[in-house]
Amino acid sequence: MKFVFTEEQLQFQETMKGFLAQECTPDSIRLGWQENKPFNAKRWEAICDLGVLGANLKEEDGGLGIDQIALTLMIEEMGYVALPEPVAEQNFLVNDILGLFPAEIQEAIKSKFNSGMDYIAVAHPHNPHPVFLDDSKALIMFDETSCHFLEKGDYDSEDIKSNDPSRVLSKIHEIKSSIHSDQNFATLNQAVISRGTLQSAALLIGLAQKMLDLSSAYVLDRNQFGKPIGSFQAVKHMLADVAVAIEFARPAIYRASYSLFDHNSKSALHCAHAKYMAVKAAELACKNCIQAHGAMGYTWEMDLHIYMRKAWSLMACWGNDDQQQKIIFNTLKSSNDEIGVLYTF
Amino acid sequence: MKINFTEEQNTFRQEIRSWLELNLPKNKLQSLDTKEGFEQHREWEKTLNSGNWSMVTWPKEYGGRALNLIEWLIFEEEYYRAEAPTRVNQNGVFLLGPTLMEYGTDVQKNKFLNAMATGDHVWAQGWSEPGAGSDMAAIRTTAVLEDGFFVINGQKTWSSRAAYADWTFGLFRTDLESERHHGLSFILAPLDLPGITVRPIPQLDGEPGFAEIYFDDVKVPAENLIGGEGEGWKIAMATAGFERGLMLRSPARFQQTAAKLLSLYLENESTCSPAIQAKIVDAWAQSESYALSIYHTASKLMDGGSIGSESSLGKIFWSELDYMMHETALKILGANAELDTEEHQDAAQWIKGFMFSYAGPIYAGTNEIQKNIIAERLLGLPR
Repeated sequence: MKFVFTEEQLQFQETMKGFLAQECTPDSIRLGWQENKPFNAKRWEAICDLGVLGANLKEEDGGLGIDQIALTLMIEEMGYVALPEPVAEQNFLVNDILGLFPAEIQEAIKSKFNSGMDYIAVAHPHNPHPVFLDDSKALIMFDETSCHFLEKGDYDSEDIKSNDPSRVLSKIHEIKSSIHSDQNFATLNQAVISRGTLQSAALLIGLAQKMLDLSSAYVLDRNQFGKPIGSFQAVKHMLADVAVAIEFARPAIYRASYSLFDHNSKSALHCAHAKYMAVKAAELACKNCIQAHGAMGYTWEMDLHIYMRKAWSLMACWGNDDQQQKIIFNTLKSSNDEIGVLYTF
Repeated sequence: MKINFTEEQNTFRQEIRSWLELNLPKNKLQSLDTKEGFEQHREWEKTLNSGNWSMVTWPKEYGGRALNLIEWLIFEEEYYRAEAPTRVNQNGVFLLGPTLMEYGTDVQKNKFLNAMATGDHVWAQGWSEPGAGSDMAAIRTTAVLEDGFFVINGQKTWSSRAAYADWTFGLFRTDLESERHHGLSFILAPLDLPGITVRPIPQLDGEPGFAEIYFDDVKVPAENLIGGEGEGWKIAMATAGFERGLMLRSPARFQQTAAKLLSLYLENESTCSPAIQAKIVDAWAQSESYALSIYHTASKLMDGGSIGSESSLGKIFWSELDYMMHETALKILGANAELDTEEHQDAAQWIKGFMFSYAGPIYAGTNEIQKNIIAERLLGLPR
């Protein structure tokens, strides 16, 4: 039992943090909004060059072979800067489960695409609107019983606008032709749900931390009644509540990552737990952080909403807290003899 | 990162489990806040010590097993799972013990740690005063050094376990000219000295869980000073850190409550609305998160890290969680919740726990004080 990160895992996180602080500023995100092109091709290329897109692919498949734990730490940093590009999605929804796809789909992915450079979008009943479909090289689409692999021209789709200008979404209307299979479907489907759930939780906790940091800085800077508003207890306590919520969501996310890494039979429950806690924390962060900013928080000018909008979207993707609650409840009910004090690990 | 138990840890768990199965009292002990119950609990401390289970992390020479924090957490899990008696000496073993380990002299460690482990010295806390609650630096009880004795005058209050305890530890003002957190010293005093009057205060459950302690020219040997004169605040903060941090509320306690709440719900599912389901999930999710967080913290400590103001985050989290779980239990019990009869002992236990859960956000520094600490020391906001 050693619930701490290795030097190497922390090194990946630090590198990512440093890179993103330079490359993904609020100004660069706003520029993408203005130009109606939130997917920044230059930044994407830099991320690919850094090896991040294929970081968790096996070395023989052109990746760095990093584990789910290091990946989660890196994804938290992507959340912290509200990175528009779908790196976390590619890492977890495609790379991490590559070996679980039906043989013909694996074959198609491996032969037609430059792994670690090409983006493949994913649509799933739990996440029906894939992001940046126009910037993708292919689409993997799950329905209730099978998995489809679609290239450009294999489907009809339409772009749909998101409340978050950093997200370009699509609606898939019709599949004209696809490579599809129901082979290994139950396992594959659960694997993609767990990973979708976990990556959105990790992004959310980064976003919540960013909102808290922005607010702590703002309430130090803003003076009323002759002193910083951050010296008033009503304001302090609001932000302290956010700090508490983040603190106790984080270990759930790390444990869920470890469960995927360790092939734990309860990993679906652990991922649901991670998302449940992350949504609660992010929800409180949005509510209390805009309040700490006062009327400024309600403006387009203040950067807070860059992070808030992304959080609102991600809370719902791959199941919000209500849906996770249902999953947890059903698990508790059906296996209550294996839940509790002796079954944390 | 490797978050599974080792073979040795699983064997250790089995050892505790077997020992508890053999040695647990056959009948439920009376409340430790009654005279008779207190002595029953003291006996249990002696039994625990006979198996070297008083405090597994302590060095062997003081009755411990020299084990690490993970193993302590495993011990706690088995302890709560077995529903073993409340530790009457938790002020001693969880709070004063670690303080002595860090700041005590060898003579002090020899004198106090063994007696603590055997249950011969049961300890009471002596922090608060009528004018010094959340504002602990306002302490006014004085201890003046004269001829090798501290002469103590003043009053302590909300002193947990003091009604029947043998000793108290606390902060006293040794520099009469000093103000606030300067000039305070950490002193240990036996409660049977001439000049000491203990007045028990009945709590919400009617039992005297805490007391007032009056000091009237009480002479305490100078060797009972821990650390140096005037270092009391620093040492007390370390003790408060243990209390808020790992030691006072190990996660097993809350996980066990969450598990019992789930059982209670399943027995009464047909009468509950879906709103209760949400609370059941919250109880599991939060107690699970608390456990994960404490294992994470314990691992960091074992890796050479330290615990500071972060402990305030945990104190808020577990105390709110404990209240929520008990409140939910009462909702499930409905009109039976208030019954205190032989056939409704479960209900009576829940409402007792419910009353005690109101104390969580107050003791060990109110949650409002903890939020100030978080805002000022972790988020960098001004005082």
